[in-house]
Amino acid sequence: MTTLETTGLVKDYRIRSGLRRDRFRAVDHVSLALTPGRTVALVGESGSGKSTIARLLTRLDRPTGGEIALRDTGGRPVPGRAYRDHVQMVFQDPFASLNPFHTVEHHLARPLLLHGRTRGAEQTWREVLHLLDRVQLRPAEDIARRRPHELSGGQRQRVAIARALAPGAKVVIADEPVSMLDVSIRLGVLNLLARLQREDDLAVLYITHDLATARHFADDVVVLYRGQVVERGPAAEVILRPKHPYTQLLAASAPDPDKRGRAPAASEAGTGASAGRPGGCAFRDRCPSAMVVCAGAPAEEPVGDGHTARCWLYGPRS
Amino acid sequence: MTNLGPAAVPAPRWGSGLRAMLPRWSLRLAIGLGLIGAIALFGVLGSLFVGDPNAVRDAGLTPPGGGHLLGLTQTGQDVFAQLAYSTRGSLEIGLLVGALATVLSAFFGVLGAYAGGVVDEAFSLFSNVMLVIPGLPLVIVIAGFVPPESRGAWTIGLVLAVTGWAASARVLRAQTLSLRNRDYVAAARVAGEKRWRIITVEILPNLLPLLASQFVFAVIWAILSEASLSFLGLGASNSSTLGTMLYYAQNGFALQRHAWWWFVPPGLVIALFGCGLSLVNFSIDEVINPKLRSVFRVRRRDPVPPAEVRPAGENVVVEVDSLDVVYRSDVPVHAVKNVSVSLRRGEILGLAGESGCGKTTLAYAIARLHRPPAEVTAGSVVFHDRDGTGTDVLHLGPDALRAFRWDKLSMVFQGAMNALNPVTTVRAQLDDVLTTHRPAMTAADRRARCAEVLRLVGVDPARLTSFAHELSGGMRQRVMIAMALLLDPQVIIMDEPTTALDVVVQRGIVGEILRLRDELGIAVLLITHDLPLLLEIADRIAVMKDGEVVEYADAGQMYRAPAHPYTRELLSSFPSLTGARGAFLRAGQLEGSR
Repeated sequence: MTTLETTGLVKDYRIRSGLRRDRFRAVDHVSLALTPGRTVALVGESGSGKSTIARLLTRLDRPTGGEIALRDTGGRPVPGRAYRDHVQMVFQDPFASLNPFHTVEHHLARPLLLHGRTRGAEQTWREVLHLLDRVQLRPAEDIARRRPHELSGGQRQRVAIARALAPGAKVVIADEPVSMLDVSIRLGVLNLLARLQREDDLAVLYITHDLATARHFADDVVVLYRGQVVERGPAAEVILRPKHPYTQLLAASAPDPDKRGRAPAASEAGTGASAGRPGGCAFRDRCPSAMVVCAGAPAEEPVGDGHTARCWLYGPRS
Repeated sequence: MTNLGPAAVPAPRWGSGLRAMLPRWSLRLAIGLGLIGAIALFGVLGSLFVGDPNAVRDAGLTPPGGGHLLGLTQTGQDVFAQLAYSTRGSLEIGLLVGALATVLSAFFGVLGAYAGGVVDEAFSLFSNVMLVIPGLPLVIVIAGFVPPESRGAWTIGLVLAVTGWAASARVLRAQTLSLRNRDYVAAARVAGEKRWRIITVEILPNLLPLLASQFVFAVIWAILSEASLSFLGLGASNSSTLGTMLYYAQNGFALQRHAWWWFVPPGLVIALFGCGLSLVNFSIDEVINPKLRSVFRVRRRDPVPPAEVRPAGENVVVEVDSLDVVYRSDVPVHAVKNVSVSLRRGEILGLAGESGCGKTTLAYAIARLHRPPAEVTAGSVVFHDRDGTGTDVLHLGPDALRAFRWDKLSMVFQGAMNALNPVTTVRAQLDDVLTTHRPAMTAADRRARCAEVLRLVGVDPARLTSFAHELSGGMRQRVMIAMALLLDPQVIIMDEPTTALDVVVQRGIVGEILRLRDELGIAVLLITHDLPLLLEIADRIAVMKDGEVVEYADAGQMYRAPAHPYTRELLSSFPSLTGARGAFLRAGQLEGSR
């Protein structure tokens, strides 16, 4: 089965402001492994580098450093040309990711033909209908002939999922696949993704800012802060017993009707908007438990079974 | 949007992708097409029926009449026959140049923008250079260099196309730059599409309306420029156009000899054709930018009868009674149906629902911010002031309304943090509200008040001198709330105030809202799709669906025992952070085609 592994992935963006050239590190030495049948949730606030990682993994952007290794069932590296047979993506906004000019059939038939899954119009049409049926868009013949504006948001996202499956992908990068959808539709789309994953033994990277769905939908959670992995581990561990102060803050901030009537959590950490001092722990400006050692860069420290946190609180010196 | 089964979806419409790109039928378009059609028909067919335009007769310079519809020229040529042939000549040049210029501008604009990097820089520089070279003088110089005997229609067409494509290229480049960053282009790249296919199959069809508009523009430009060139005697030697007609009229002293029939018809044909093309172009522009569509006139209907202002119930500050709001479009949309809610002092009233349920429309109607085609068709909104006087909001005059808004009731809009003016400081923008509404306040008082409201929302008053881009998203949203607080209103309507923010920042803003409610006793109408958030912080909640309030209850009660099935469905859509893992996914067996 196909596995996708990154080691020390780095992406720098150059910013030009006047004559000054600056470098902005969007992704800072991120190592991830996506294995068949498992879902990894990548959690973080906007600007933390989640979507940049998605663009790197789908080869829309080139990494500045680090390695992306894709291995097939036999553990052999997949050559560059075949990369896109294996790795596909579901975009965040189904209103933007489907071309308004083309029919649903076009969106599914193109990847089928491009990746040599089908030959000839008739076989392609049958496969398009089969794909639509798999994502529960019925009647398939009717849906295939429609254009995106004739579909609801949830239906569009199902088409986008079918498109990702069309090349026979084994690794699916889902970049906030439900955040643009109405709340009552989200569940259905997530359930669909979960079922397809079971059926096809897919490796899924679920990118989200929502801790709750990450917990229910993913096996492992990776928390990203300013391009760095600050905490990772089994979903329930990370979210129910967060170790890193940032994850703790995230978990405490989620709306919770059970907290009704209690005083709101201290909001001081939320107002921190400084650009972050270079070097050291990226979170130390907002961290309630910042210490002197935080001026040095922390390493990922084990805090439990398969659970690590990049924080001096768990470091060797404390 | 919750029950979009296959039956609820409209039947597929064939070719609707192309149809969406056709301009909407309007009087403007009809006149434009009529003018173009009539003139083109005249040019194409007219020349078949009129006699030889160059036949010389004895009679010189005769006014219309006597068998010659538009009279004769100095040398006795029939003006009508000349006009027919010249119109055809001008149209041919126009189409030729239009096509050439569009191809050139598409090549340099679209290709450069898609390729990016050095190619884009080079192409863009080249179009900019072509753009700053003044067109007509260059045309004159080029046309002047070509010897008259080899100056055919093609030569002139080529010269005009080369000098006329640059402006379109820039427009197309800008649009392509925007299109190439669309997700569907990224999706095509991820699917492994080749570059040329992405440009021709994914991008180009979406540029069609723009290309059509640029083509029409190029045709107008070509006909006018060719007429100018010919008028100067630099036109094509082997063809007759409206410009050459004017040239001969000028040389024959038509103006001095009052021979209007010689120079007015060709001038008029040029003007009318240009006018027709421009009218068509306006209609194409509406396809490119739907905002230009003129809002159709809304017939003034009988206004809603004035509300009976009754004394307020316990602490009620805003009372909405059986409100109906209808969007009067082709198919009227009943966005708010018979909604009655009341907001008490010091209360947070939550308004929950999904997109399109009418929650924002309701909020706008309460603040009287709804615009045509939205219209309140029934019901009333009554505001009860602190001193007990009641105001019928739907019947306030323009001045009273201005005083009412912001002073008594203010709003924080969706995405409001992007509403700050980027070129002035925070203080200038806060100050502006005070100078408008409190002209009597001194500058020092205003400064003190601005600092005070910032402190109220937890922003350091030192930030008054900051510009919007120097503040984070959460900070900007706090500034917007501060602005809403400036005039000490009794009610604030907040429309999705935290939707675009991260949970940690949202938590901070929510904390401020709760504190303002507790400290200042402000009543807050909080609109959001995030039901768990409302359940945590609101006092009462109204759940809306399809314009109706389906459940209206105390928040605690709604959390313990949601009464309406839709409320339960919404609640079950939000997984609990701490519940058993997978319970959410297993519970979600209602996987339909939704």
